[in-house]
Amino acid sequence: MNDIYQAALLAHAKNPHGAGAVPRGTEDAEALNAGCGDEIRVKLVWTPEGGLERLVYEIHGCAVSVAAASMAARRLEGKTPDEIAATAAAFAARLGQAGFEEEWGDFRAFNGIENYPARLHCALLVWQALEKALAKRAGP
Amino acid sequence: MSGRPETERKTDGFDAGAIRRQFAILNREIAWLDNAATTQRPEAVLKAMDQFYRQHNANVRRSVHRLGAEATAAYEGARATVARFVGAAAPEEIVFTAGTTAAVNLATFGFARWEIGPGDEVWVSALEHHSNWVPWQQAVKGVGATLKVIPLTPEGRLDLEVFRKGLAAHRTKWVAVAWVSNVLGAENDVRAICDLAHAAGARVLVDGAQGVAHLQPDVAALGCDFFAFSGHKAYGPMGIGALWGRRELLEQTEPLLYGGEMIARVDDLKSTWAEPPYRFEAGTQNVAGAVGLAAAIEWVRDLPAGAHAYVAELAREAAARLAERPGVRVWGPAEGRVSLVSFSVAGVHAHDVAQVLDGRGVAVRAGHMCAQPLMRRLGIESAVRASFAPYNAPDEIRRLLEGVQAAQELFT
Ligand SMILES: Cc1ncc(COP(=O)(O)O)c(C=O)c1O
Ligand SMILES: [Zn+2]
Repeated sequence: MNDIYQAALLAHAKNPHGAGAVPRGTEDAEALNAGCGDEIRVKLVWTPEGGLERLVYEIHGCAVSVAAASMAARRLEGKTPDEIAATAAAFAARLGQAGFEEEWGDFRAFNGIENYPARLHCALLVWQALEKALAKRAGP
Repeated sequence: MSGRPETERKTDGFDAGAIRRQFAILNREIAWLDNAATTQRPEAVLKAMDQFYRQHNANVRRSVHRLGAEATAAYEGARATVARFVGAAAPEEIVFTAGTTAAVNLATFGFARWEIGPGDEVWVSALEHHSNWVPWQQAVKGVGATLKVIPLTPEGRLDLEVFRKGLAAHRTKWVAVAWVSNVLGAENDVRAICDLAHAAGARVLVDGAQGVAHLQPDVAALGCDFFAFSGHKAYGPMGIGALWGRRELLEQTEPLLYGGEMIARVDDLKSTWAEPPYRFEAGTQNVAGAVGLAAAIEWVRDLPAGAHAYVAELAREAAARLAERPGVRVWGPAEGRVSLVSFSVAGVHAHDVAQVLDGRGVAVRAGHMCAQPLMRRLGIESAVRASFAPYNAPDEIRRLLEGVQAAQELFT
């Protein structure tokens, strides 16, 4: 029906990977979508070696924002801060054009979203939170 | 559906199709259920604006030539139409603004804030749109005054008992309240609020944005001190609206915009202002917008009998059908819906409900609807809203419900 709700996106939205409680005040960063009220609080748990052990997030948002967070949580496990920042930048640059390539894996579920410009910011919500969290970690 | 025969019975004799045919945009076969955000415009309004630009376009008031005189007549004629519409004592009590938001800001920062000092109180209601909340919040900030909130009853009406008890003579200076809620859908008892406020020596601004398309405005009957509304929510153009204020209040109101057209005399180091309402209409005005607004007002006034009852019945029917569905929660009082219904669907984000509906050609609003303080009180971040106009058909309620069902099937 709606090509925005592909099976892969719905699967993530219904069973989001890494979703959990991040009580207000304990988050590394939050992001808000003023347009539709989506909000996310993220907490990044690092391994002693400096890779991402887990991305924990509490999200109150639409299926697109939840699926994006779930996919990010899965894809970013084990990644360094630089790799996360690079993925965030690549995703933001890529989103909105048709035909995510093979290497994007689950993110290919965002093929079709380019027809729904109002929803692009939903897919970017988790990435905005991640960028803020990384900036905070890097310090002033 | 069980409720449809009732709809047809109650709306007997009202021909929604005849209304619909006046709206070219509705040929796109969109079920436009986002009328509370903005209505569509009938041919009569488009034609009036087109005719202004084709035949009479000129600057108002300052031109000697004949087009200038015609444009001025059209603009001031529109002001008189607005004045009659809201029951103003004179056309000079009408200030054209860009809309409700601009009108509220003019009343708040041009007038009200000069009356608000340390220790004073301003009340807003819990259901206000941001445009009737944020200006007041900002006005009290910094002067040491307090913003107080008229809470909701469990049923979703304003709790006037709390308001009555909380009003403080001499301290309460202003009250800002919506005539009709853009989320909960009911008409507020503005008259009672005005009477209570005035008894305590306070003044009242009424945000009429959601009322003017569906209820007959009458500032004297409402009893308010300022009344703000937008044209685009009542079949008029975007970017035009009005502030009504009694002449004595407008005379004490400071302009917010300085420049051409609003002055009496300009010296090097000081200026004096034109009389209201011109004092508040600095720069070249939206004359075609005012002409379109007047045409919209005439169009609303000439709607066939039963149009408003028909719209209320669509809203009531939609709310009743939605409330029957498992997992759907309808917000706001059950009785007295003017034109809209807001609801939430368990397990499905409002955004996704709206997206699924859009895929089926049904346009609804989803989000916080510019009422975040209200959303927080309801314990939600967002909701879906279906809002009606006389061109909507009962069949569009069926499409709304089918879309909600489809969203539930997709996500749960
Ligand atoms: C109750 C209410 N007040 C104020 C506004 C703001 O109107 P405008 O955006 O035309 O200034 C709206 C509409 O968005 C509204 O529904
Ligand atoms: Zn969203």
